[in-house]
Amino acid sequence: MALLELENLSINYGAIQAVRNLSLEVNEGEVVTLIGANGAGKTTTLRAVSRLLKLREGAIRFDGVDITNRPSHAVVRLGIAQSPEGRQVLARQSIQDNLLLGAYVRNDRQAIRDDISRMYKLFPRLEERKTQLAGTLSGGEQQMLAIARAMMSRPRLLLLDEPSLGLAPLIILEIFSIIRNLNAEGVSILLVEQNAKLAMQNSNRTYVLEAGQITFSGQSQELLSDERVLHAYLGA
Amino acid sequence: MGTAQIIQNLLNGISIGSVYAIFALGYTLVFSILGIINFAHGAVFTLGAYFTYTLTVGQFGINGLLSGVSLDTQLPFAASIIVGSIFAGFVGVLLERLAFKPLRTRGADSLLALVSSLGVALVLVNVIQYLVGAEIYTFPQEVYGDIKPAIMFEVAGEIIVIRTVQVIIFAVCMVVLAILGYIISRTKAGKALQAVAENQITASLLGISVDRIILFTFFLSGFLGGLAGTLVGTSFGIAGPYFGVSYGLKGLAVIVLGGLGSIPGAVLGGMVIGLAEAFVPPDYSAYKEAVAFAFLFVVLLVRPQGLLGRSLIQKV
Repeated sequence: MALLELENLSINYGAIQAVRNLSLEVNEGEVVTLIGANGAGKTTTLRAVSRLLKLREGAIRFDGVDITNRPSHAVVRLGIAQSPEGRQVLARQSIQDNLLLGAYVRNDRQAIRDDISRMYKLFPRLEERKTQLAGTLSGGEQQMLAIARAMMSRPRLLLLDEPSLGLAPLIILEIFSIIRNLNAEGVSILLVEQNAKLAMQNSNRTYVLEAGQITFSGQSQELLSDERVLHAYLGA
Repeated sequence: MGTAQIIQNLLNGISIGSVYAIFALGYTLVFSILGIINFAHGAVFTLGAYFTYTLTVGQFGINGLLSGVSLDTQLPFAASIIVGSIFAGFVGVLLERLAFKPLRTRGADSLLALVSSLGVALVLVNVIQYLVGAEIYTFPQEVYGDIKPAIMFEVAGEIIVIRTVQVIIFAVCMVVLAILGYIISRTKAGKALQAVAENQITASLLGISVDRIILFTFFLSGFLGGLAGTLVGTSFGIAGPYFGVSYGLKGLAVIVLGGLGSIPGAVLGGMVIGLAEAFVPPDYSAYKEAVAFAFLFVVLLVRPQGLLGRSLIQKV
């Protein structure tokens, strides 16, 4: 049984069909990438998993539990965390408080403190600035904070929406090395990325989304040399 | 104006100003979460005063449906003011469920919520009139126990008189402000409240139930409104069902003056307007109400975002 199962998802924005008949799975321990052009429905899919959107049709199951009708905050408690597109840190709160709020669903105070120190080891730049308001951070630092904050709920599944967006190449490499580390610790990851090549190089499987539908999918390594992917997404 | 007169005015001003502050905070909390003004806040102010009155005195007046009805028990004043304000807090919760949530879930424009709360305010005022009549209710002097009605001292050869009620009002407001400050900045619920105020979607992605935080906010708001009503009521009496209307408007002046959505702004705004009113010469006391709005007008010309408000131009 897969950790996350999306079955025949259809989502409308008014009259526009954003996602059509989408089925997808993330197995325990996997990194799965969702690639596609702007407006293909990648962010919509992640938002649906976090239950921020109404489905027209379909079902979402997490660890065998139907979460289709659960509210967003309940889904976090079950073990799904999201680092949203555009980072969305709480700009008026300190970095420390952003991390504490990331652990909102937990009550184990000592373990929360340990996890915060762990995040600071992973992202030393956040520790240097821990009392600063998150709004004063650079784009790359905000991205790190968004990922660290999502990790603070101790998720089993981490949804990452465009973690490389607008960042300098060196920072992007840093972010991806952190993603690999998190996965090595046992967190399953569903990754949405514009930077298709990097995302595929760092994932087990890839789904290609076109105009709201999955057109093909497979092992990332194989798709990296697939003609269709090369032309459309890897600029070869 | 002599030194003694200035001190007298200052003391009067900070006493009433502290009530304006906690009352206005009720508006501010709801505004910071939902971005709307709850026009029924003035009616909650009135209700809170009646709740406390009823719990303390144990009976209703001579008019209205409840005339002659009396409760089996009477609570000590200190207990009734807490219980009465808690009731007012639940009125706030009810308000959210009846006037705001149904519109919000349908995605209605926030202007509609404003009209809806105005409607609820009118209903509440009329229900109060129907139940307890339009007479003025005065708290009996003995609610504060066996204390002197006033404190007197001398400055520069002149006598300054402070009513004990004013001192108590100020003390209660300061304690409430301290507790509220602690709740908002130090507790988990308070942090969640701040997160919801900043971004509801992000908050729910962190596992915060936005719906519950909104209810919590309305409870706090109603509690503060009801408490403010009680405090003013003990000082000047409960002036009938329309008691809260003029305070409701003044509260709006306070939050706009302080800066919409700013908690320190509401406190500062309350104090400034309280003091401004206190310094209105006795000959012009009929125009006291106008002072709040004149002040507001002048400040907004210079600082449209209010004294402590965030700049209206947002960084994108």
